[in-house]
Amino acid sequence: MKQGFRQSMAWLHTWSGLVVGWVLFAVFVTGTATYYRAEISRWMQPELRREATIAPEALAASADRAVAYLQEQAGGARTWFVTLPTPERPLIELFWRNRPGTPPGHVLLDPRTGAPAAMRATRGGDFLYRFHFELNLAPLWGRWIVGLCAMVMLVALVSGIVTHRRIFTDFFTLRRDKAAQRGWLDAHNVSGVLALPFHLMITYSGVVTLALMYMPWGVTAAYKGDSQAYFAETGQITQARPAAGAPGTLAPVGPMVARALATLPGPLERLTIVNPRDAQSTVVAVFEEPHGLSHEHPQVAFAGTSGAVVEVLSGGLAPAARTFTTLVGLHEAHFAGTALRGLFFLCGLMGCTMVGSGLVLWQVARQPKHGAAPGFGWRLVHGLNLGTVAGLPGAIAAYLLANRLLPLDLAGRPEWEVRAFFGAWIAIAVAGAWPAPRRAWRGALAAVALLFVAAVLADVATARGLWDDPAWFLGFDLALLALAAGFALVSRKVARFAGPRRARAAGAPAGVPRMGPA
Amino acid sequence: MSRSPTLQARAAVAGRVVLAAFGGYAVAALATALLSLTLPMPRAEAVTAATLLSFPIMVGIVVVAFAARSPTRAAAVVGGLVLALGLALRLVTGTFPIGFGS
Amino acid sequence: MTMPGTTSPGLTLLVCAGLGFLGLAALCLSLARHHQAVWSHPPDHRRRLGLRGAGWALVALSLAVAIHRDGWAFGPVDWLGALTGAGLLLIVVQSYRPRALLWLAPLAALLTVVAALGVPG
Repeated sequence: MKQGFRQSMAWLHTWSGLVVGWVLFAVFVTGTATYYRAEISRWMQPELRREATIAPEALAASADRAVAYLQEQAGGARTWFVTLPTPERPLIELFWRNRPGTPPGHVLLDPRTGAPAAMRATRGGDFLYRFHFELNLAPLWGRWIVGLCAMVMLVALVSGIVTHRRIFTDFFTLRRDKAAQRGWLDAHNVSGVLALPFHLMITYSGVVTLALMYMPWGVTAAYKGDSQAYFAETGQITQARPAAGAPGTLAPVGPMVARALATLPGPLERLTIVNPRDAQSTVVAVFEEPHGLSHEHPQVAFAGTSGAVVEVLSGGLAPAARTFTTLVGLHEAHFAGTALRGLFFLCGLMGCTMVGSGLVLWQVARQPKHGAAPGFGWRLVHGLNLGTVAGLPGAIAAYLLANRLLPLDLAGRPEWEVRAFFGAWIAIAVAGAWPAPRRAWRGALAAVALLFVAAVLADVATARGLWDDPAWFLGFDLALLALAAGFALVSRKVARFAGPRRARAAGAPAGVPRMGPA
Repeated sequence: MSRSPTLQARAAVAGRVVLAAFGGYAVAALATALLSLTLPMPRAEAVTAATLLSFPIMVGIVVVAFAARSPTRAAAVVGGLVLALGLALRLVTGTFPIGFGS
Repeated sequence: MTMPGTTSPGLTLLVCAGLGFLGLAALCLSLARHHQAVWSHPPDHRRRLGLRGAGWALVALSLAVAIHRDGWAFGPVDWLGALTGAGLLLIVVQSYRPRALLWLAPLAALLTVVAALGVPG
């Protein structure tokens, strides 16, 4: 840092990237998968039958059945969340928040009967979605760790841009020569520079989605910490209606659903019912986001006991609030049609490549000279790199595989799928820690490819009879096979790289992030 | 930094990391609170704009903390900013920063 | 997902990607090393300027098409997405089969024109 701005930024890029790289890789992989969260959930519940349309009357009847179930099973809960059926996912999804300290409840109902749906129990794509920002830790811990890593990622991006300005003039190159270091460097540069707008957007907007948790001080100063009041004043949610403390009876929600559908256009997505047994209960009908970049749900709020409309919320955000919701919208990309979603997915894969190749680059650039024993630090980084870069994709494949292989009536099936996820991750990481590095990489990546192939085979063998749309399921399987082919390809590439001596003999090429003068 | 950094170099790096993390967050937090109260727009807009700005501010402070010629100079810059923002916030609110306890 | 206002978002993306591919290819070939990989000699001064100018113009045209078709909100997003995808294809092609650009570029031009004709408005 005595060596001038560029060098200090190079140092910062190298080390900040390494320290958070493992978490970032996991966040990028699960986040990229989350672009297809609904598809993953559908694949993991092949029993589901889609429907052509859902009539408004059926929607209202579903809402009544949902509330009947909740009255019976979750009467003491503070808030009920009812996700209404759609043609793509004709299920009622119930979630309820209990008193603090009591875990929340969750169930899927068949909209025609109101009884729990007869399907294999799984967390589906939601597990990967939550992992993306909570890492399967306690929410508070997970979100802070991910937020911290995202901030460091922003720093790594900025310092990377400052350090490697020259790359922007010619980033069209993926060198094919056999020096491992060059190959990883080019992969890092290409994936980093080409998708740089995406990386900056996704990292900043990711922090912004949880902005008030990370940076609550504006609300503290201007609203005395009342974030509900802040959100309502920006026009993102309806005004909070505090509980009266006296018991009340919830009016039938079916008519409220009909009224909401008559008030606002667009598909109704869910109902939120706050303090359901209070005299001041509130029912909020939340619509799907209308076509637009911005993440804003039109809403109609009802007084729960009378069914009277108390507030209608539809667009009209002020500039700063709109900037905020647009950033959130860009992050989630719910607006993207098939083609654009595919491009977002591709950008996500390039983010994974950037982080993964950056991690490996650190390791390869510091490979011990031939014959020298690697130090503890190098071995640790190697183990963590392999455990993360190969382990996490392997874990996802194992998660899908477990979904097809576990007995359908297994108690706690969703938890067992998650155990398969972490079991495979740990197994790959541990098995990869012992062999010589290059052999370990080759073997681990090949194992990941095999796991994805196994998931496809298990799907075809066990679930073929359940597919409601064979072409769709075969398409999903084909995507899994493409992933398998990708891992097999990289596994072969690793095997073909020349040993470290040749890479070293060629001298460290310009632009390699290093720690100052070696 | 060479292959085996001296204890002094390690301490300097550790100092900058601590400064970047805590100093950066302190500056960003104080700036958010101050801007939330002073930006010439409706309250909700000011809070949103200030919160959106806070993250680039923090990144900027981290870059400064690592780019400064010496850890002492970095500490002086960040410390000065914290002090200035804290005083400004005190002037605006008439109480001590960010309502601890209030 | 229904998208009111845009009848064929896929086609617009294809036009943007085609123009972006051609633009980035021209920019890439304006660099000596990549020009050499295709034509085995570096570009002379005029050719370099021509390629660079054409490259930027095509990239700008791609953005203009995106904004014209999809508006100021979606246009830039579509443009960046299409440009990123096109750039990835270009990089892979010219790293592994640089001379394939000689037939890929005309093909991209053809596809772009066909897609542009298919886009109403």
